[in-house]
Amino acid sequence: MMLLAAILIPIVGGALVMVLPFKKRAHMAVYLEIVVVITSLLVGLIISEGTTGRFPIVKFVNNLSLSLELDGCGMVFAGLVSALWPLAMLYSFEYMKKEKHEKVFFMFYTMTYGITLGIAFAEDMLTMYFFYELLTLVTVPLVLHTLSREAILASRKYLYYSLGGAAFAFIGLVFLMIYGTTVDFTYGGVLTPETLGDKTNTLLLIYVIAFMGFGVKAAICPFNSWLPQAGVAPTPVTALLHAVAVVKAGAFAIIRLTYYSFGTDFLIGTWAQYVVMGVVMFTIVYGCSRALKETHIKRRLAYSTISNLSYILFGVTIMTPLGLAGALTHLVFHAVMKICSFFCAGAIMYQTEKHYVHELDGLGRKMPAVFGVFTVSSLALMGVPGLCGFISKWNLANAAVMSGNVMACFGIGALLISALLTAIYMLSIVIRAFFPPEDFDMESVKEYRDPNWMMLFPLFLFVAAMIIFGLHSAPIVQFFTDISNGVL
Amino acid sequence: MNFVQNFPFFSIILSMFSGIVSSVLPARAAKWLNTILISVVGAMSAVLLVYLMGTGESYVYWMGHFPAPWGNEIRAGVLEAGMALFFCVIMLLSMTGGRKKLLGEVEYSKHNLYYILVNLLLSSLLALVYTNDLFTAYVFVEINTISACGLIMIRQNGRTIEAAVRYMIMSLLGSGLFLISLCMLYDLTGHLLMSNIKESVAVLVSHHQYSVPLMTTIGLMCAGLAIKSALFPFHSWLPDAYGYSTVSSAAMLSSLVSKGYIFLLIKIFYRVIGFEIIAESKVINVLFVFGLLGMIFGSLSAIRENDIRRMISFSSVAQIGYIYMGFGLGTESGMTASIFHILSHAATKSLLFIAAIGLTDVSKGSRQIVDLTGAGYRNKIAGFAFTVGSLSMVGVPMFSGFVSKLLFAEASIGHTYKMLPAVIVLAISTILNAIYFMKTVIRIYVPERRKDCEVITIKNEKEYAVTLVCFIVLNVMLGMLSQPIVQWIHTGLSMFG
Amino acid sequence: MNESVTILFPIFFPILMGVLLLVGKEPKKKALLSRYTGGVLLLTALMVLGLVWGKEVSFTMFFLTGRLPVYFRVDSIGKVFAFVVTVVWVLAGFFSFEYMKAENAPRRFFGFYLIVYGILIGLDFSGNMITFYMFYEMMTLLSMPLVLHERTKAAIMAGLKYMFYSFCGAYMVLFGLYFVYRYANTLTFTAKGVLDATLTAGNEKLLLVVAFFMLLGFSVKAGMFPFHGWLPVAHPEAPAPASAVLSGVIVKGGVLGIIRVIFYLFGADFLRGTWVQTTMLILSLVTVFMGSMLAYLEKGMKKRLAYSTVSQVSYILFGLFLLDPVSLTGSLLHVVFHAFIKCGLFLCAGAIIFRTGKRRVDELTGIGKEMPVTIWCFTLCSLALIGIPPASGFISKWYLCEGALHTKTAVFSWLGPVILLISALLTAGYLLPVTIKGFFPGEDYDYAALVKKEPVKLMLVPMVILAALAFVLGIVPEGLIRQLSAIAGQLM
Repeated sequence: MMLLAAILIPIVGGALVMVLPFKKRAHMAVYLEIVVVITSLLVGLIISEGTTGRFPIVKFVNNLSLSLELDGCGMVFAGLVSALWPLAMLYSFEYMKKEKHEKVFFMFYTMTYGITLGIAFAEDMLTMYFFYELLTLVTVPLVLHTLSREAILASRKYLYYSLGGAAFAFIGLVFLMIYGTTVDFTYGGVLTPETLGDKTNTLLLIYVIAFMGFGVKAAICPFNSWLPQAGVAPTPVTALLHAVAVVKAGAFAIIRLTYYSFGTDFLIGTWAQYVVMGVVMFTIVYGCSRALKETHIKRRLAYSTISNLSYILFGVTIMTPLGLAGALTHLVFHAVMKICSFFCAGAIMYQTEKHYVHELDGLGRKMPAVFGVFTVSSLALMGVPGLCGFISKWNLANAAVMSGNVMACFGIGALLISALLTAIYMLSIVIRAFFPPEDFDMESVKEYRDPNWMMLFPLFLFVAAMIIFGLHSAPIVQFFTDISNGVL
Repeated sequence: MNFVQNFPFFSIILSMFSGIVSSVLPARAAKWLNTILISVVGAMSAVLLVYLMGTGESYVYWMGHFPAPWGNEIRAGVLEAGMALFFCVIMLLSMTGGRKKLLGEVEYSKHNLYYILVNLLLSSLLALVYTNDLFTAYVFVEINTISACGLIMIRQNGRTIEAAVRYMIMSLLGSGLFLISLCMLYDLTGHLLMSNIKESVAVLVSHHQYSVPLMTTIGLMCAGLAIKSALFPFHSWLPDAYGYSTVSSAAMLSSLVSKGYIFLLIKIFYRVIGFEIIAESKVINVLFVFGLLGMIFGSLSAIRENDIRRMISFSSVAQIGYIYMGFGLGTESGMTASIFHILSHAATKSLLFIAAIGLTDVSKGSRQIVDLTGAGYRNKIAGFAFTVGSLSMVGVPMFSGFVSKLLFAEASIGHTYKMLPAVIVLAISTILNAIYFMKTVIRIYVPERRKDCEVITIKNEKEYAVTLVCFIVLNVMLGMLSQPIVQWIHTGLSMFG
Repeated sequence: MNESVTILFPIFFPILMGVLLLVGKEPKKKALLSRYTGGVLLLTALMVLGLVWGKEVSFTMFFLTGRLPVYFRVDSIGKVFAFVVTVVWVLAGFFSFEYMKAENAPRRFFGFYLIVYGILIGLDFSGNMITFYMFYEMMTLLSMPLVLHERTKAAIMAGLKYMFYSFCGAYMVLFGLYFVYRYANTLTFTAKGVLDATLTAGNEKLLLVVAFFMLLGFSVKAGMFPFHGWLPVAHPEAPAPASAVLSGVIVKGGVLGIIRVIFYLFGADFLRGTWVQTTMLILSLVTVFMGSMLAYLEKGMKKRLAYSTVSQVSYILFGLFLLDPVSLTGSLLHVVFHAFIKCGLFLCAGAIIFRTGKRRVDELTGIGKEMPVTIWCFTLCSLALIGIPPASGFISKWYLCEGALHTKTAVFSWLGPVILLISALLTAGYLLPVTIKGFFPGEDYDYAALVKKEPVKLMLVPMVILAALAFVLGIVPEGLIRQLSAIAGQLM
């Protein structure tokens, strides 16, 4: 019951924003923050109580129903989202001061929260698919927000790609309905090899199709071009949605598909595993290479996201419990790192109106807080030991080595090449900012300064999180390992 | 014999009678008569449905007192009663939704003619639903064609007349093929009553007699009805007919007329030839392939369209392709999916046409999609309804289109070789639908200040708004509460044969 | 092994002080900077020396995850390297107080200088591979600002190239590290290796590839062919004190990495006779020759010294890869000697640039008359580098050659010494002209315009100390040799 409440509060609360009269902008901000914080607290309460049983919402067709349940995997995703949303909300209040149509924006922004929780709490593939499609719909207006020509084109592309991907994932859903013992998410999968017989190859093909379908949202090649284009949206949208909620929903869906629906026992060692692993490895390197060439800050970070999402998927395609643990680790840690980077980029754009990397010379001296945080998140993304990125990369590589899968070893190589490229494209920004060429005119950046506390506070929290996770990750990694072994 | 069991007969007679009476009534009275008629018929069908669900079996009603096999029969079962009810609901809503435009587009003096045609259309639909006699079916097919032509033509301009002529030619071609096959069937079996024909056909097939003529008959019958219901590649008349006629006509044509023929085809499959025989024949493979092609080409043509009404019309071509694909699977689950899609499509397509007219009205009457920018803000209810309709077409969960997709996909799995094409084309079709519908949805919500366009609010257009809301509710009901409806279809099909 | 938190002091104290310097305000008197930095350097040096002369101690700081502790240990090799680092760092530091008077942003330089000192101590005192890797990455990151200090376009490019190469190498090491973790009992450095025999059985090929990657990765920092490209670019751009420590000590970080990998992770026996050993020997010899050749052809002073480093460090690597106790002793000797020598040479070059602005070798005619003490130091260091007895370089080269002849490796036992000899000749060719032309400029020299440009004491003293060390350690090397041979024996 509480699960349903957690989903509905943000949806209703967000919808009410359009209707309630607010005398001052600050009132609206407070109201929204309260709605989001209440939901996060509720989610925290739910998680602390542990796994729950099934809660059906409504019956659907053919003995299917929409129902909610909380298991370990869902806890991770829901916990992540609920921790980040209040901070993102805070940040966006300040950021959106300079944009128009605030009410509509905040309505959809809050509703997205509820729907993302719906994906986390979904008990079976049908419910997850339901909320997955709704997620696309409710985030389109956010991408469309600025209503410029690029925004319209970007939202169109996003819509087509997402709906298209979901259409193919739908095929997977239907096959599971027919050939699985149940559509519920069960650790280890719902397919029994005996009943399948000669249909095995067909089902492997369907798995690949469904993987690619959900993978559209998780921005795998060749379906990733929507993500950099969606960078035209306001930064709170790109940061939270396209670095955390939407794309991680895609990765989460693939985790559910692989470990809880088709089951790794069925998939491991088959040609399907090699195909998806190959796609993922390619995406890892591709994303980083494109990031290198890209000069627009937010698009560069978007390509970095594409690459990092495939780290998570790489863990998934290793198809062992360790692989899942590594994937979950990177799911959480990357969300923190990337949202931090995007918020820094947003702060820079907000304060200076500069959008391109080559315009950032010398700004490090004037905005030390923002660029300091950006440096930390760059180091974390590269995988410097002491910060969280190293831990998640370690877990992924460890899983790959332990699995004994030859392709996975090449995957480690892809990870490291990507780390090298990440170092280059992230640190080059940092170096420019702190060490501009000697003939640089410091007068031209005289008037820039750090943004106010509403934007800085989340940034500092993220830095603390990255450092704490980097130095003391054992408890949370243990939690992930328990989930991946099916204990939770 | 229960009084309720007379209802099918009453429905048909009342409609025909109202049609005749309307010729002497002034427009206003004709309008009221029409509305009351549809409501009454709908109520009767509802009562009949409840009754039949109670008894759990269909019954046969003699027309006149001639027994079979010489007399005429009506057969009513759960499926037929439900269909009749549904058709009435859609018709009522379509009429109310397009009422205002009717006043604008058709001369006042011709209004009673319009209502005559509508009444006749209702009667022929009901007859097609209930009849158990093949020749009667043919008669009412013709009546259906004529009233449909009239509906197209009632709005007199060059385009509609051309569309009507084209429609008439194609329709008559279809009717002709139907008649030929009917004659051949009569020749082979010596019966005109459906149940009797079925017995004879079963005997013929088991003795392997006349297999070629039988196949030809089936093929011609399918072809005839396929032409009339605009299956690819016989759809060329459709965009003009739906695109240029008045709104209620477009809604009714797309939702009801073609569905009447499809329902007749289902009846023929089950009650004339026998489902097992059909399933084994090659005819359904042809239907399957054309269904798939229709799904793709309909959507491809829609993408290229700039006129919103024609775009929606091409979408109809695609949706009819879905239905024929369901037939082509040759299983009961495929049939169930097709029948559900008849309901879903009828509800959604009418919704789309009526919503579209609302949008064009606030854009100075222009039907070009580029002119519709921002229309969603000028006519909020129409914009919202159009969005709902589009989402249903794309197959987003919560709306009826998703359940249709689900049923089709489930039906196709398990088939050895038809499965993959069906499933893949289903996915591609979703993407194509998304492209042209979502593009339009985004466009109508991009705000644009237009000083010279009127703004329509709910207060001005109560009737219109109420219609749209009813359609939306219907759509969501089909989407979320589909279980009882699917149950009803199953029950109906089981007593259908 | 005693647990002692004192290990952390010399690591984190300079880092902390350096950070304070960077974020603090600009001091009113510039002299304060030098005093502050000097004080920190000396204090840290005392702490290090205390540890070096003490017993072996260790300390576990915390656990990164699961089986990965951040673990420090003062063992014999670490002591040697820490000692070298300290001597070089302090001397170059004092040199830089004067040198940085001509440069801008001295505070930033000193800040990073202190931080890198702390990190290097941490590197030398790392007790396991993961701690080593952590400090290795940080060393790259934090020494980069030293390289691009001048912020000219060329300097920034050089810094980026340095970073790119170093990270490439670091990630190659990480790649190997993932595998070692799986096949080893522990990542703590243990003499003769940590590989678990049961796990490794059947996977030798894989582990050889892994070892190869790790060695290559560390050799990037050590400037071995084909990854030497960053060295000649970074050195000329960096300020002279930075070049000095770069050549003197930072590249030795790579050497230490290789020592750790070969002797403390895999164990010499695992690698002896394999294709890995052969390849590395070839590469190091190629580098020895190539480096000397390029130095000979190069006309820019600092770049010439940079190529010299490339060549000399590969002497050390050659000795390591021979996997023989005698050559290992020679390598370790050369680590010490080369650090002092090269630092001295760079400081001299820096003094010349500081006082006369002359950067090219052909401009240095008669420099010996203008700066006699400087050039005397330069000469002493040159002799040591060439390997002329009784200078220290001779001892280390002797041990290297002896080790080469000692081993059974077919070609290398004679090829090695030959190449070393050729390289020595080339070294003479590129170092001695400076001395000769400097002291004996010839008739064309304008004696009238001669001005004494000797640098101040603060700059002179470090140079003199280093030159003295370079020579003296050659005359009385016994203590050092005994120490290092003991270590070598322990490892094999």
